Amino acid sequence: MNGEGGMSPLKIALIGNPNSGKSTVFNQLTGLRQRTGNFPGITVEVKETDYRFPSGKEAILIDFPGTYSLYPTSSDEKVVAAVLANPADPFFPDALVYIADVTHLEKHLLLFTQLLDLHIPILLALNMSDSAAELGIKVNASKLADTFGVPVIPISGRTGQNIMRLTVELEKLLDKKDAAASRSFYNPTESEKQVIQAVQQNLGVENPYRALQIAHHAEWLPFLHPAEKETVAAITSTKNFHSLRAQVDETLERYDRFTPLSQAAVAQPPAFPNTPTDRIDAVLTHRFWGPLVFFAIMLLVFQAIFEWSAYPMDWIEGGFAHLSELVSDKLPAAWYTELITDGILAGLGGILVFVPQIALLFLLIGILEEVGYMSRVVFMFDKTMRRFGMNGRSMVALISGSACAVPAIMSSRTIGNWQERLITVMVTPFISCSARIPVYLVLIGLAVPAVKLGGILSLQSLVFGAMYVLGLLTAFLAGWAMKKWLRRREPSFLAIELPVYRMPLWKNVLLNVWEKVLAFISGAGKIILIVSIALWALSRFGPGDAIRHADQAAQEEARQMGLDTTATDDLVQQRRLEASWAGQAGKWMEPAIRPLGYDWKIGIALLTSFAAREVFTGTLAVLYNMGDAEADINDRSENEAKATLRERMKGEKFSDNGQPVYTLATALSLLVFYALAMQCMSTLAVVRRETGSWKWAFLQFVLMSALAYIAAWLVYVAFS
Amino acid sequence: MQRRYRTIPDLKINESARAIAFDDSALACKLTSMGVLPGSRVEMIRKSPFGNAYYVKADGVRLALREEEAASILLEI
Repeated sequence: MNGEGGMSPLKIALIGNPNSGKSTVFNQLTGLRQRTGNFPGITVEVKETDYRFPSGKEAILIDFPGTYSLYPTSSDEKVVAAVLANPADPFFPDALVYIADVTHLEKHLLLFTQLLDLHIPILLALNMSDSAAELGIKVNASKLADTFGVPVIPISGRTGQNIMRLTVELEKLLDKKDAAASRSFYNPTESEKQVIQAVQQNLGVENPYRALQIAHHAEWLPFLHPAEKETVAAITSTKNFHSLRAQVDETLERYDRFTPLSQAAVAQPPAFPNTPTDRIDAVLTHRFWGPLVFFAIMLLVFQAIFEWSAYPMDWIEGGFAHLSELVSDKLPAAWYTELITDGILAGLGGILVFVPQIALLFLLIGILEEVGYMSRVVFMFDKTMRRFGMNGRSMVALISGSACAVPAIMSSRTIGNWQERLITVMVTPFISCSARIPVYLVLIGLAVPAVKLGGILSLQSLVFGAMYVLGLLTAFLAGWAMKKWLRRREPSFLAIELPVYRMPLWKNVLLNVWEKVLAFISGAGKIILIVSIALWALSRFGPGDAIRHADQAAQEEARQMGLDTTATDDLVQQRRLEASWAGQAGKWMEPAIRPLGYDWKIGIALLTSFAAREVFTGTLAVLYNMGDAEADINDRSENEAKATLRERMKGEKFSDNGQPVYTLATALSLLVFYALAMQCMSTLAVVRRETGSWKWAFLQFVLMSALAYIAAWLVYVAFS
Repeated sequence: MQRRYRTIPDLKINESARAIAFDDSALACKLTSMGVLPGSRVEMIRKSPFGNAYYVKADGVRLALREEEAASILLEI
């Protein structure tokens, strides 16, 4: 991410408390050029961009996660503390832009004074100066500049006020490194001084406050060698250094010193007791209206990704189908043409088809985050979700998961606690997504009689609803189990600020949408494309001459039966799939799936539907010799193709004993299997991206498959 | 024994009191970094819909706190 060899580029970091409007300032400075990555080894997100000053000087601008203090209480804050404790870190900044909310200046200076002591050149930007003016808050910037010995600039990220001046001052700052080294804010206690000296001498740390930081954090700082950690541990224990107590004492000492300084520079009118935010919250966090409004909003979110995004998704699918047809018309009928149409184009279409859902979901979530509503959601649902190892924000992921797990899992990014985020990611795919609908419709129509209970309630709809309940219950149960299993690796806090409600800034919202879409395409897209091509190859090629023989045999058979061209094509398609690697695998795995009541044809469909669940019905349509109905069958509504497929399914018999395959037990077993199994490569690809390793994606796949297998087996045994 | 302090769960809606100390170092670290300090005026706004969390204002800043977080802030009587 940073320059290799030679001169490494200048790095400037934006830093400040959560809710300081830091990201808005970053967006003002950068726009579309920003890149999103992870800090090495961890899943804390970092945004950076190449920046060119008006003079032509170049630098990398980094947006650090929002932080209250260098004494971290979350993984985001740990990252900041770890980077700043290690001048050799690739993200270690040459200069800092400190963003403070000027309307609450005395709450925003703690981290600033800590940074002063690290002797990194720093500039104090008083953000939200426009709101301050409206509230009648007057700030004497030059007085603050004299007090702290740093440039102080009132700005507004929202209106763009003074952003140019900020860049000019920032460039000047880069030339004045020496000034930073001379000032200090905090006077360490005697015991701290001893610890600082010992760490400085033993580890060769120059800056005293950095030495103190290392003394506090040595245990988990990633860049220290085990020997160094032992040295620091020995120092702190011999000097009787009580880390937590020292942190609190230092924090209070800092407040005592800077509060009068900030008060002397800020003239604040007495606060109005009843602001619009209080009046809005009286409804939005009300014990009855609060949850009701939330579920109404979530209904809208669901509607957006389930219903509205269906239109652009249809265009994308239609577009790719058209393109695919065009390619097969223009190119000779050969394996490489099929590779393009059924492998590459199908894969690309399979990636792009998620874009409308992702864009719409993040548009809505972005607005909710921007106005300040999401922290209220966390407040309202903290207790409920914490029982199941999750966070109030997980509600959004779970509800979005009923449309599609892919954007839903991406939405868990906003959960600060790593463990809560992980559990949310792991359990979201249990929620029945829209890709399961065609599978459910076909199977329920097959297994459940179309009767009305008491003349009103359709039994089929009831079972359909029960599938959703099953998914939801399993998700919560899995969350609870994971919480027990993982225990607590870091202390969990609710303690969040409930920011003042504001109009959303469209630039922030749209940049976020753009960034998420790009992250999906570049992060998960490659994997989806590769798996799509692999699945195509498995169902296109077979061992030895198997495919060619199957082809010839089918042609011969069709001639004897006097079939027309379409029927011949269907038969050839069916026989080729049966002879392919996927078909072979289906036969090989029959002994393993027979206990669930499945034959080898269902086995093939289980394999191919790893691409996406709805492929299950499409594959069965091919295997049961109705290939041309493939498109209609994946529709979300009941239709003729599904009815035909059900007729064919009823006629299927096991090859060895001639018993019908689709009994009530088999159909119910398949329903449960599809509700619980991880049959979706796109979800796995996104899990891999969001958790930063294959470990969790693999574990999720194995656990979900095992659970689905056992549950399906139990259902089969119970009903047969 | 008579307690010499109260905590947020003891406050009625819209009642406020001055914080005097914390009884848990880890929570104290978190809360002080967010600006809840000994001497801060803490006002109870409302309980969360399903209980166990509090909407409070500390020196005018709106915060959501869990039961145990709220109970770790000792308030004057």
